[in-house]
Amino acid sequence: MSDRISFGLSPERAAERVAESISVRKRKENRFLFVGKFAVAVALGFLVLLFAGILSKGIPGLFQHYVTLDVQLDASRLDPSGQGTLESVADGDFDGVVRDALYEVLGDPTGRKAKRQVRKLISSGSGQRLMHYVLDNPDQMGSTVALQFAVDDDVDIFLRGLISRDIPEADRRVSDQMVSYIDLLEDKGRISYEISDYLFFGSASRDAEMAGIRGALVGSILTLLVCIGIAFPLGVATAVYLEEMAPKNRFTEIIEININNLAAVPSVVFGIMGLAIFIVIFGMPRSIPLVGGIVLALMTLPTIIISSRASIRAVPPSIRDAALGVGASKMQTITHHVLPLAMPGMLTGTIIGMAQALGETAPLLMIGMVAFIVDVPSGVTDPGTVLPVQIFMWADFAERMFIQKTSAAIIVLLAFLISMNAAAILLRKKLERRW
Amino acid sequence: MKDLNEDFYRHISSEFNEELEALRRSTLEMGGLVEEQLASALKFFASQDSSLLSDIESIEQQINAAEIDLDDQVESLIVRRQPIASDLRLVLAVSKIVRDLERIGDELEKVGRLSLESLDSADGVGITEIQRIAEQVAKMLSESLTAFARLDLDLARDIFERERKVDKVYQSALRSLATFMIEDPRNIGSVLNIVWIARSLERVGDHATNIAEYVIYLVQGVDVRHPSVNENSFK
Amino acid sequence: MQLAESSRMVQTISTLEARVIPDNTLGQIHADNPRMKARNVDVFYADKHAIDNISLDIASGQVISFIGPSGCGKSTFLRCLNRMNDTIDSCRVSGEIMIDDQNIYDSSIDVVLLRARVGMVFQKPNPFPKSIFDNVAYGPRIHGLATSKVELDQIVETSLQRAGLWEEVKDRLDQAGTGLSGGQQQRLCIARAIAVSPEVILMDEPCSALDPIATAKIEELISELREQYTIVIVTHSMQQAARVSDRTAYFHLGKLIEVGDTKQVFTNPLHALTQDYITGRFG
Repeated sequence: MSDRISFGLSPERAAERVAESISVRKRKENRFLFVGKFAVAVALGFLVLLFAGILSKGIPGLFQHYVTLDVQLDASRLDPSGQGTLESVADGDFDGVVRDALYEVLGDPTGRKAKRQVRKLISSGSGQRLMHYVLDNPDQMGSTVALQFAVDDDVDIFLRGLISRDIPEADRRVSDQMVSYIDLLEDKGRISYEISDYLFFGSASRDAEMAGIRGALVGSILTLLVCIGIAFPLGVATAVYLEEMAPKNRFTEIIEININNLAAVPSVVFGIMGLAIFIVIFGMPRSIPLVGGIVLALMTLPTIIISSRASIRAVPPSIRDAALGVGASKMQTITHHVLPLAMPGMLTGTIIGMAQALGETAPLLMIGMVAFIVDVPSGVTDPGTVLPVQIFMWADFAERMFIQKTSAAIIVLLAFLISMNAAAILLRKKLERRW
Repeated sequence: MKDLNEDFYRHISSEFNEELEALRRSTLEMGGLVEEQLASALKFFASQDSSLLSDIESIEQQINAAEIDLDDQVESLIVRRQPIASDLRLVLAVSKIVRDLERIGDELEKVGRLSLESLDSADGVGITEIQRIAEQVAKMLSESLTAFARLDLDLARDIFERERKVDKVYQSALRSLATFMIEDPRNIGSVLNIVWIARSLERVGDHATNIAEYVIYLVQGVDVRHPSVNENSFK
Repeated sequence: MQLAESSRMVQTISTLEARVIPDNTLGQIHADNPRMKARNVDVFYADKHAIDNISLDIASGQVISFIGPSGCGKSTFLRCLNRMNDTIDSCRVSGEIMIDDQNIYDSSIDVVLLRARVGMVFQKPNPFPKSIFDNVAYGPRIHGLATSKVELDQIVETSLQRAGLWEEVKDRLDQAGTGLSGGQQQRLCIARAIAVSPEVILMDEPCSALDPIATAKIEELISELREQYTIVIVTHSMQQAARVSDRTAYFHLGKLIEVGDTKQVFTNPLHALTQDYITGRFG
């Protein structure tokens, strides 16, 4: 026993030293804990600020002011031939009918100046709205119906209280005359504040009150579908090949390094590449969801491949051994055992990649999705735009109502993103299996 | 006691159970052979019927073969099963019992040879004593085997009683045979044979007592040999 | 008797002095009616020579155990028998391993078919994360062994019965295989291996992750299975090898030192290295 080299302290001395060091350690740990908590608090604080700002600006943007008018649906003026088709109403004087209804409510003002002021109260798209109504409800022709029309964006801003009455008239966008008309309408109870149907069902427009995200939303969905359709199968297949079947040599190492690097490439570079290859060389049209989808797919591919590889790697080799031991071929092992077990991770990675792609603006700008598209795209080869680009464009416009609508659109985009991430978490929880 | 017996056959491995069963059976069979040997030897001593000699010869060979077979079984069990606790005591006890049985066989073979030589002389001297010893010893042998079969502690302890009796009879036989030899020195040769026969039989009794001690060890795990040596003397 | 004993002792002492790895394996490499034969098998992991020129017969209807210290190559050699070493990139195998006189490393051999004839049970129980029924049915399904649902049910029931698990799980076949205890999981893996009707079952330390009672049950199972299957078991417990096997092969640093009847190897091994290992004299 005594020929072992003896080192160190007796147990009592060691216990003493440990006791001394405990208070120092505790202080260090408490400091660290405090710093951590502080960091979390700061982060949460910024998050709260962000949301507060967006919500406070955006929620009003979800609403609009409407004026209710009694409109005389005079067939002779609206649809002379009485056929009720798009061509036959093309000559109808819808604007006139609407204007007349407005004059009536305001007590038939006289004078060209007054009438011009009146016309500025209401949205320029009101005639269109009446036309659509007439086409959809042919049985109402000839009667008088109460319809809601959006007020002009300046009037809307005024009604929200963002244009003060105290500013001199020359500096105001709403003249005193208009103000009096507005007050009159309000007294008559004709002004209502409701959820904006324009926002969700209208398309891009220079008129703020008519501007909506429908086109952009559809464009986003189409683009995302193209993106998933290309990126997911390609990404999963690539990951399976690289993990399971490729020989481990220099070549595959280089591929792996390149994929990892691609994940860090700025997204605008993909846009430039898309522009150069798909639009210039292949001659595909600009601004279509197909090209946008392909570009986004290439952008998210590295993310999907990396997360899919990680999921595949996480499947324990004992499962593979068990399958091979029973006589399964390599493909059977992969499809029957590895993929089902790796799928939750792959799906989670894909959804997160998609959420990222949803919010991308720069690459889509490069391929021309900044064009002003009014029509809602009906297919992947119709010109369209996406929600982030729409927001970007609106942010440029001067009208104040655009600010509100921009924030509202941001809320919609965020809601979309949050629900996609929530879906990823739910999916992961549901499919998580223990082996 | 019955519980311990049944316990031997409750291993998860059925092969192990069978092996222990075979071990006990073989031991009892060997014991049976030895009992047969004792009966034959005594009959020969009494009747001098030379046909019994070949019986004694063949049983002796069977006893030796049984010893080798049982030692092989013991070795197998230790190597393959690594027995512990009651299983270990069983295997160790059997290993010792087998040796004592084989020694009994050897002693009885001696009795047979000696009986052959002391045919004529002696005139029935010491026959009674021999027979009294033989009777006790046969009972001891039978009881020791039964005690092993039934793991019967009480029976085992009875054997110690008998041993004391046998001792007394043996001592008195020796005294009377000694007197006989002193009286007529011409008888010494033949009487000596009787003495050796008596001694062999007494040895058989000793071996039977050993078997009883092993049974106690097997059941209680207590080593009751050499009571003058107790555990304290080693510390 | 005395003379024979002393001559045996003389032989043992002279072998004991030679603690050198022999060029040739001692004991009985060959067996009558071998199910599988290995001849001059070498295995390399990159530069490491893991198995050095091993030849051995695996006899039908018997249990042979591979014992030896860590890293001696017993698991590697076992995995050669069903070509599981193919899954390791850096592994190269040379020599012949034959089943029915056909070299399993021949390019014309379908590895999938080989693994259906030579099944494997692993060290850590690894049931599929599927139901108990699906675990056992997977092999028959992919090999097309059952032509109807009824046949499949029969195969599953028979396999579970042979593995001694049927009574415990017959009422919960649709529950997850991973919900069973360790010992039950391993018996499930045995049932899964049996379900494809293999001829040989390879077991790589099947009890090392189990408690003593589960171990005893599996050992009992192995002695029951011996009648129908040829079993090769790698074990680091010599006591287990002594209990369970008919023949024992001792591996040391990639070489096969000695192979023979289990009782003989454990009572009177032919080589000093074998004796050192089994008596615990290794450093």
